[in-house]
Amino acid sequence: MRIIGPDYLVFGVDDLEGSKTYLEDFGLKPVQLDDTGWLYEALDGTGVIIRPKADPKLPAPLETKNMLRQQIYGVEDASVLNEIEAEMSKDRRVTRLSDGGIEFKDDLGFELRFQVTIRRELSMPAEKINAPGAPAQRAPNELGVTDDMAALPRSLSHVVLFVPDMDKVVSFFCDRLGFVVTDVLTGAGPFLRPQANDDHHTHFFIRTPAYMQGCEHLAFHMGGPTELMVAGDRFVRKGYQSFWGPGRHKFGSNWFWYFNSPLGVHFEYDADMDKHDDSWVAREAPNGPEASQIFLLQWREKWAPSGGPEGGSGA
Amino acid sequence: MSANQLRLCHRDDIPEGAARGFLPLPDAPRNVIVVNRGGQLHAYMDSCPHYRGGTPMAWRKDAYLDSEGAHLACHAHGALFDIETGACVSGPCLGRKLTRVPLSEAPDGSISVPAQVAGRAARES
Ligand code: FES
Ligand SMILES: [Fe+2]
Repeated sequence: MRIIGPDYLVFGVDDLEGSKTYLEDFGLKPVQLDDTGWLYEALDGTGVIIRPKADPKLPAPLETKNMLRQQIYGVEDASVLNEIEAEMSKDRRVTRLSDGGIEFKDDLGFELRFQVTIRRELSMPAEKINAPGAPAQRAPNELGVTDDMAALPRSLSHVVLFVPDMDKVVSFFCDRLGFVVTDVLTGAGPFLRPQANDDHHTHFFIRTPAYMQGCEHLAFHMGGPTELMVAGDRFVRKGYQSFWGPGRHKFGSNWFWYFNSPLGVHFEYDADMDKHDDSWVAREAPNGPEASQIFLLQWREKWAPSGGPEGGSGA
Repeated sequence: MSANQLRLCHRDDIPEGAARGFLPLPDAPRNVIVVNRGGQLHAYMDSCPHYRGGTPMAWRKDAYLDSEGAHLACHAHGALFDIETGACVSGPCLGRKLTRVPLSEAPDGSISVPAQVAGRAARES
């Protein structure tokens, strides 16, 4: 099944104004959908949809207080929707929407929608670096950083869910929707990617008790590690709370930086994730600090060495 | 203020119904949250008991309450805590508690905490 990955994640929020400010400061572009709904989109049109939590336009909430209300996935074309509809109709109610999309619940009660993807194709360079022994990626006089450099989320990358029944959710995504497991953190859970996406993961599942079911975090791809650092640094300076990072994960090799949010999930900037094909054999490692990252850093105020011990200008 | 106390703020810095975070020392690993509930001040480490070691709870500077101001909230995954007891009442850390910090108030309204608070946090829970 040619599923590409998450187009939108939909939240019913407590604090609408706070959420709007947060998403815009995170670097997403607001698009008003109707009286009560806003899409905050990355450069390729994927993103986060928010509505007040009591909005009847939202699918029913999870039994837990988690604010995630629906995951909307993009597929390559309409024939994929037919394929998914046929498979899902075997054992559940599938609703066909007027725009051709389909809606149903997964085996754990998460609300899903599938649609022909709304992603716009991006044509932008990745971060360019120069290194001895390799051809220079930046031309002479082309600068690596500037104070006003852009550092905007390019695309919705992945979603991470707290799930009470790992076997159920993995067999649902793999056996019914054709996802493959790329790696496993034992004690936490597996990373998955769908067939029409070569990113290391669009999903990661974490095993938890039922009262925690919901979304742990979602992530947006940045143009490279420098953009990730610049975006995160600017975000901290605006008063937002770093949760974990910056650092670089081992599984997936992606750089990461996680922040708390008024949507009750973490928002992650990620960059430079591994790509895989079907020849990849999933690795397994015990979950913990060692397996989670190759290194971990922490933000601090800008500083510079200056002067000597009695050098006057040093601060 | 005695030598083993660290001043956080003045009582008037926390209006009724508000919460704020203060670093007890500039390089302390965690804020102390001070919350004013009906004129009574309560303080807890800014350290959610959900994940091992404890993690910071606000989504923006001083954003420690839920939207109604009824509970302290961890905005990482939406845990809610009773303001008076620090007990988690909903969310991922049900059954656990925030670490309470004893406050001292001087006659001039200065609010301070025991000095060892500045060194702990990350290790706890
Ligand atoms: S870290 Fe606080 S609720 Fe998860
Ligand atoms: Fe992630």
